[in-house]
Amino acid sequence: MSAYTAIRSFRFRSIDGPALLAGLIIAVPVVVTLLAGVLNGGGEAWSHIRDTLLTGYTTGTLGTLALTALMTLAVAVPAAWLVTMYQFPGRGLFEWLLILPLAAPGYVLAYAYADLMGLMGPFQVAIRETTGWTARDYWFPDMRSLPGLAFVLTCALYPYVYLTARAAFVSQSVCALEAARSLGASSARRFWQVALPAARPAIAAGLALTLMEAAADYGAAEYLGVPTLTFGIVRAWQSFGEPAAAARLALVLVVIVIALILTERHTRGRAGSQQSSTRWRNVSRTRLPRWAGLGAMAACALLFLATFVLPMSRLIWLVMESQGQIAPIGRALVNTLILAGSGAALAFVLAMVIALTARQSGLIAGFARLMASTGYAIPGAVLALGALLVMGYLGITLTGAGAIIALAWVYASRFTTSGAEPMVAALGRAPASMGYAAESLGASPLRRAVSVDLPVALSGAMAGALILFVESLKELPATLMLRPFNWDTLSVRANAYATDERLAAAALPSLLITLAGLLPVILLSWRLSHSRPGDTQ
Amino acid sequence: MSAHLIATNVTRRYGPTAVVEGVSLDLEPGDITALLGGSGAGKSTLLRLFAGLEPLDEGEIRLGDQLLSRPGKTVPAEKRRIGLIFQDFALFPHLTAAQNVAFGLKSRGKEAARTIAAEWLERLGLTGRADAFPHELSGGEQQRVAIARALAPEPAAILMDEPFSGLDPALRGSVRDTALAAIREAGIPALLVTHDPTEALESADCIAILQGGCLLQQGKAADVYMKPESAAIAAALGPVSRIRAADLPEGLAGQAVPAGAELIVRPEGVVQDEGSPVRAKVTASQLTGPLCRLLLDCQGQALTALVPRITAPKTGAEIGIRLDPALTFIFQSADS
Repeated sequence: MSAYTAIRSFRFRSIDGPALLAGLIIAVPVVVTLLAGVLNGGGEAWSHIRDTLLTGYTTGTLGTLALTALMTLAVAVPAAWLVTMYQFPGRGLFEWLLILPLAAPGYVLAYAYADLMGLMGPFQVAIRETTGWTARDYWFPDMRSLPGLAFVLTCALYPYVYLTARAAFVSQSVCALEAARSLGASSARRFWQVALPAARPAIAAGLALTLMEAAADYGAAEYLGVPTLTFGIVRAWQSFGEPAAAARLALVLVVIVIALILTERHTRGRAGSQQSSTRWRNVSRTRLPRWAGLGAMAACALLFLATFVLPMSRLIWLVMESQGQIAPIGRALVNTLILAGSGAALAFVLAMVIALTARQSGLIAGFARLMASTGYAIPGAVLALGALLVMGYLGITLTGAGAIIALAWVYASRFTTSGAEPMVAALGRAPASMGYAAESLGASPLRRAVSVDLPVALSGAMAGALILFVESLKELPATLMLRPFNWDTLSVRANAYATDERLAAAALPSLLITLAGLLPVILLSWRLSHSRPGDTQ
Repeated sequence: MSAHLIATNVTRRYGPTAVVEGVSLDLEPGDITALLGGSGAGKSTLLRLFAGLEPLDEGEIRLGDQLLSRPGKTVPAEKRRIGLIFQDFALFPHLTAAQNVAFGLKSRGKEAARTIAAEWLERLGLTGRADAFPHELSGGEQQRVAIARALAPEPAAILMDEPFSGLDPALRGSVRDTALAAIREAGIPALLVTHDPTEALESADCIAILQGGCLLQQGKAADVYMKPESAAIAAALGPVSRIRAADLPEGLAGQAVPAGAELIVRPEGVVQDEGSPVRAKVTASQLTGPLCRLLLDCQGQALTALVPRITAPKTGAEIGIRLDPALTFIFQSADS
């Protein structure tokens, strides 16, 4: 149905009310920020930022994105290919271990790695002790640099590409690979010219996700001292107290994010990636010879150690070492539960509305879904700015209930779509004819949604709620900008301690955040290992 | 002259179960051999053994003098020069029709590859579709591209795994004729895996029947049809009526049937003959196209006959029948 006929035949149905409301709630923060960025003058601070800082922020963001993209592709795609196509010791274990780094936010890895690789970190100390050199006598990679930031973000975000590439390789047509063999293609040629091009759209989608998250990062960039646009937005608000200037920066950042999305769309192009296959046979993994197998195992182990085990061990070590002298975080824990809890609650309701209306396609439902996925692409700092602007217009101060509501709103605006996903998947497993049956029995769209689709969607509700809660809890920049006065959360505490160079104190909240982050990741990997290609998902 | 593709005593096991057991098969250049069998008979596994996609546990596979597979040694598929055609076409989705065909022509150089690909597309009637991507092609066009892609590198043999069963029936005949003509012309051994006896009979020169991993019979199509070596083979090539000697209506066989034997007759072997003393009642008369299928009751024994539509009796009629000895086979019953 074309957009035109969709509009012509549009009829407001009982179910469109909630969908419209959900879409608007999600859309307001980003729309307000963009309008403010375009319409407001920007103030005095803006001319200062534009003349002295804008170039640095923009090149910082673009450079970080480019380097993160390169490193992510170089790591994630070969890892996915290895665990999908070859049999080697530990393969089954690594297949899901390699997803775990998704649990730790970039800023947590930044703290751990800056400490590990720093002047007083174990590596440099060991070098000086064994050689007798002083710190000036040798070169060592500096984490507090743009490559350092890209490295840390790669560690935290590569699983997005690993997951999509792996899914594409698993579901590729085995026949196409066998046909390539029969045509004399070597294994290298089969990878580069058959499997990789067919997986390209999936890889591009995973990469787009990675880069959106990288663009949204505030904590790692701030800690490692790399000026990026997100850093600039928070800075413009905090230091200059100038929302108009921050909105201008947000405009630039949103343009970059939109360019990313359009590039991803473009890679789909005219060439198809849809396999003609209707027959799925499990990929028969090639057993690697002894040494190659050990090499593959070592490569996967190295990746997992570097991206997860090493930084987490360092944080645990920091906590153990400073036994008993750790700053209390009980209050921050309670604040986190309240703020992330209220954010997750609001987002959950919106996610439910979106999942249920998505089932009955229509113009309004499509609008709500579009807004939700747009919100996910917009950095938290930009959304927080929108909420701040609205509160400013309404004359609400950043204290108490007003601030909690504003923060919950921003969490919902950003994360609703990721919470809706498991519910949409649960509904997708039920046959479409179920809904038609309800309608043929005289149920209105609203009644159908509530009494037929809702019970089915609930099987994905636990996962959805968990994802929403954990995403909210990991969020840093928006929380930093919007939290009620004196209401520090775990992420805000971790950031504050780390900035004060009290890493031992930052380690405990960082570990708690990562621990919470593990829950949905384990859920995800469980679902992964229990679904096969060809399943309806 | 191309070389024979020969399997000798080939066995392939998955764990303790043999999926293919002691199969010997000689594929002659220029002939299309249909490998016929039900699902789970081991057809696809045998094809994968020929292709080098799986190692074998016993026996050997040769192409002329060249040893391709023996236990512990498998020349990899990419070194065999054996073309493969799949049921699901398996075209590379990101390449155009012409690029798909040129994929196996890497060693010829870009310019030559392009020319050869264009020639093959033209031979299979796809001239205008060279720049189309697979998802822009119809099923029949996709399969013809797949065939051109397999034949273009001038393979030493070609293997087809249910190549036509993904096409809709209206298209199947014409795609099959075009494809098989091109394959015959190449003058190489060709194996056509199918579960459809009609397809095997219509398109193959030779038929090999596989059941439970074992080869039951191999021979020229007409020979296997007219001289099946067992009841199972006779039944594998099309519908039959099976009658135990004890149940045989009197006078029907027209020849001596030993006690404990089983008589098997093809539907076209049940001939309507008003001069015959053996009478049967038509319980149903079904139009199948130009022919009419009669379900008969002959002294309590059910029989199926195929007769021309024009002369077909109506349901309820009583007719005289006799059996055509050329289409009637007598075997010692397996359960006696």
